[in-house]
Amino acid sequence: MDTMFTLNQCHHQSFNSTITTSGSSSRSSTEHHTTHHHHQPPQQCFFMEEDNLSSSSSIHPYYSPNQFPSHDNNNFHHHLISTSPPPQLKSHAFSQDVVREFSDSLSPNCWSRELLSEAARALADNNSSRLQQLMWMLNELSSPYGEIDSKLSFYFLQALFARMTESGNSTYRTLSSASAKTCTFESTRNLLLKFQEVSPWTTFGHVASNSAIMDAFNGETKLHIVDFSNTYCTQWPNLLEAIATRTDDTPHLRLTVVTTTGSNGTETVMQEIGNRMEKFARLMGVPFKFHVVHHSGDLSYFNLNQLDTKTDECIAINFNGTLRSVSYDRRDYLLSMFRNINPKVLTIVEEEADMDVGTDGVKFLKGFEECLRWFRVYFEALDDSFPKTSNERLMLEREAGRAVMDVVGRRPECSVERRETAERWWRRMRGSGFDGVVISEEGCDDVRALLRRYKEGWSVLQPEMGAGIFLMRRDTPVVWASAWKPV
Amino acid sequence: MVDFENSSSAMAVSATSTECSSGGNQQGPRAEIQPMKKKRNLPGMPDPDAEVIALSPTTLLATNRFVCEICNKGFQRDQNLQLHRRGHNLPWKLKQRDGKEIRKRVYVCPEKTCVHHDPSRALGDLTGIKKHFSRKHGEKKWKCERCSKKYAVQSDWKAHMKTCGTKEYRCDCGTLFSRRDSFITHRAFCDALAQESARSHTQNVPNINSDHQTHVVEAEKVDAAVVISPPPPLTPSTGVLSPVQSVLSSDLPEKAMGMIQHQKVAVVETEPPAETCLPSATASATTTVSGGSTTSGNNNNNPTNSTGVFASIFASSSLLPSSQLSPATYSNLICDVTGADRNTTVEPMSLSLSSSLYHSSTTPSLFPPPDQTLQHHRQYVHTQQPALSATALLQKAAQMGATSSNTSFLHALGLAPTTSPAPASTDHYQEASMGQWSNVQAKQESNCISDHLLMGPPAPSPTTLDFLGLGTGSSSGYSAFLNTIGGSRLNVAGVQFEGVNTGRDKDWDDSIDKKPRLL
Repeated sequence: MDTMFTLNQCHHQSFNSTITTSGSSSRSSTEHHTTHHHHQPPQQCFFMEEDNLSSSSSIHPYYSPNQFPSHDNNNFHHHLISTSPPPQLKSHAFSQDVVREFSDSLSPNCWSRELLSEAARALADNNSSRLQQLMWMLNELSSPYGEIDSKLSFYFLQALFARMTESGNSTYRTLSSASAKTCTFESTRNLLLKFQEVSPWTTFGHVASNSAIMDAFNGETKLHIVDFSNTYCTQWPNLLEAIATRTDDTPHLRLTVVTTTGSNGTETVMQEIGNRMEKFARLMGVPFKFHVVHHSGDLSYFNLNQLDTKTDECIAINFNGTLRSVSYDRRDYLLSMFRNINPKVLTIVEEEADMDVGTDGVKFLKGFEECLRWFRVYFEALDDSFPKTSNERLMLEREAGRAVMDVVGRRPECSVERRETAERWWRRMRGSGFDGVVISEEGCDDVRALLRRYKEGWSVLQPEMGAGIFLMRRDTPVVWASAWKPV
Repeated sequence: MVDFENSSSAMAVSATSTECSSGGNQQGPRAEIQPMKKKRNLPGMPDPDAEVIALSPTTLLATNRFVCEICNKGFQRDQNLQLHRRGHNLPWKLKQRDGKEIRKRVYVCPEKTCVHHDPSRALGDLTGIKKHFSRKHGEKKWKCERCSKKYAVQSDWKAHMKTCGTKEYRCDCGTLFSRRDSFITHRAFCDALAQESARSHTQNVPNINSDHQTHVVEAEKVDAAVVISPPPPLTPSTGVLSPVQSVLSSDLPEKAMGMIQHQKVAVVETEPPAETCLPSATASATTTVSGGSTTSGNNNNNPTNSTGVFASIFASSSLLPSSQLSPATYSNLICDVTGADRNTTVEPMSLSLSSSLYHSSTTPSLFPPPDQTLQHHRQYVHTQQPALSATALLQKAAQMGATSSNTSFLHALGLAPTTSPAPASTDHYQEASMGQWSNVQAKQESNCISDHLLMGPPAPSPTTLDFLGLGTGSSSGYSAFLNTIGGSRLNVAGVQFEGVNTGRDKDWDDSIDKKPRLL
């Protein structure tokens, strides 16, 4: 497929000059995204490499018969390495309109947003021809290895396509299992530690929550932390150290980690993590017990008896990035469920976005725009923090890509990545019998000191209304951390 | 803050009693004439004849406690007050202070819940009691900007500011941290920690143990002896940054053994078989221990030491018992050597050695940037000459090759980067250096592409394996990979369709050509 646009930051001129449909211009471009793109066979336009495509090989996105003339094997090869455009590709003809429409108006810095919004609109309007054209265009421009716009375009296009073909669930499952296959303790640990080293995205929540937990635990002797988080216990070493050093009589700590992914990969990983935690606690001199509970499915169906809480212990519940996995209508129930355990403190760390995409129509468009905004913020933050060529960033981007697939491609009831704003969580908490606990001055100081250790651009915001504190990235709130106690 | 708690209690101890003195102070203040010379009481035992003064909190916190009786002007120092009093032209009698009898005074803390409220635990120094009161019961007004630690006493704060931020934390695996929190998190998950047994350790980790008084947290004998586990599979741990070079440059045989053992141990965490064939093959060719060392050496940031590392590794291999020594016996050896240390708190030889010999790495990162490692590999490769045998490498390659399939077809498509051998070899290294991820991706890529293109299982052909055993399946991963690195201008898309055989042979030839370079 010929590249109508070679959108490359270095070649602005080429943007306009290559618009004419060239006959058989040989493909000598070596830009990343196009190169990589041609690597992938057509079916892979919308999937990432990690796919185990044996399960989804039945999908032929672009080349389904009713849209395009069917291709046989030769053409596949041809497409891959051909230096001439396959003449059968009718897209040339009808994409002219779309090309003309956008040729002058796409801005170099956020063209993905415009195109993707248009595509979403076309999807919502059921305008399939326009949608095809836009998707074709996006396909040309997208790549997981390019600039932020290319990357966003890649993941969102994939998700839009899944939404269009109603294959979101299976695609998401495929992507998740593919990544779970390669997930080991080392890879997870290295990824997380590297991320925490270069960006305060997760450590912000950790420091704030630990501070609230330490304040709540002050003077207690038997502590029990119930951890629902997506950071694989990287939060706890610092808390263990704080427990060991700041209190005169070291209390006894039980840590119960509840995993929600349910995939096989996490069992071994969690076991290893447990070993490390126990060893570390021994090193710190903190009497420590570690326990993992594997829960699959919606958290609101979690059986609290599995926590094995004792009457004499002081309970803290920590939700770090996991409340979003509960479906909207079960969130309040979940919160009241935990209210009934009567914890001393309950901490929440969540990302500040409203990903309610509804099922269709205006709600979908609004939610889609918000997703675009949010993931752009995230990708930009990653781009800032990591060096140019970073495995870890790529892994994180892929993970985000799966989240995009989940929010945009899947039905709401199955979705596990629907973030909600702090304000809405605040309302839910108030409604479930919790009151906000102010994060102490020391905690805020700790957070500010933490941010000072990173590159600039990060700050803390304490809202006037509501509870908790926000991590701000260049004046955009990105992460919200809050502490609650039952009233 | 905790450090100062220690020092303050140390100070307090110097003037308080831990047990009751001979009942002298229990009845309350008693005035007696003491000899003029200042004698310091033993720590923990205030002078039983001393006058116990109980000052109120306000007085304690007051900055101007010397007040002129004539005009009520306050002074911080007694000398200043005396100087001021001269100005009042007092008659001779009143000039004398009534302090001809200098009583020894001890002070109690006004805070009732405090230990030092009891006269038997009074502090002998007024400044001491003031500082104690501020620290324990006072408001912390002084704050460190860097780490947000708070202090009540200004001198504590000043002392802290001198050292804050300058302290660097070093993990046993050798990584250096400037931030305490990232050090702690790393420490908890570090492989070096995982290798420890449940023995108690003597302290060597800087802060963690200094904070501990009550709990006997002794420093890790990093690994030292007991590694009963079999030697690591020949896989490097990319997560372990161990500046082996410094360690192994020691000439002491037993210590070197201990250290090597340590390094080996540090690498024990089994990684999924990395396609970093070179180092693995090295390991297979030399003793497992050295292999472990070299691989971890690969990951080091410091290229200049690499040649030294390997030289010393080979030197030290000669120190080791011959490579026929079974792993079990080797461990036993080490156990015997360090067994005596097991239950003592004597400094572990390996640990002390390690801390003294470790070079300071400059970055706390576990992941050297690819280009550094790349050069590294080049250097490494050259010095590997004596130890590597092509046979060993090929054997390794054969093993590795079994995991990747679809090689021939991809070759056929000409997707293998056969066009430019030079970048390809470096890309091999790059890929190797990136460790797991690339291999994984490579495998997956090859699987995906093959599934699609072939519409059926291809016949894996061992002859198409390239030299490093990565197979051409990984080569497609290359291009994608290279794109990630952003450094490659490999023109994969432009490669023409090649016949199956030609492509295959070409790659094989290339690999053969590469051999000398690698060796």
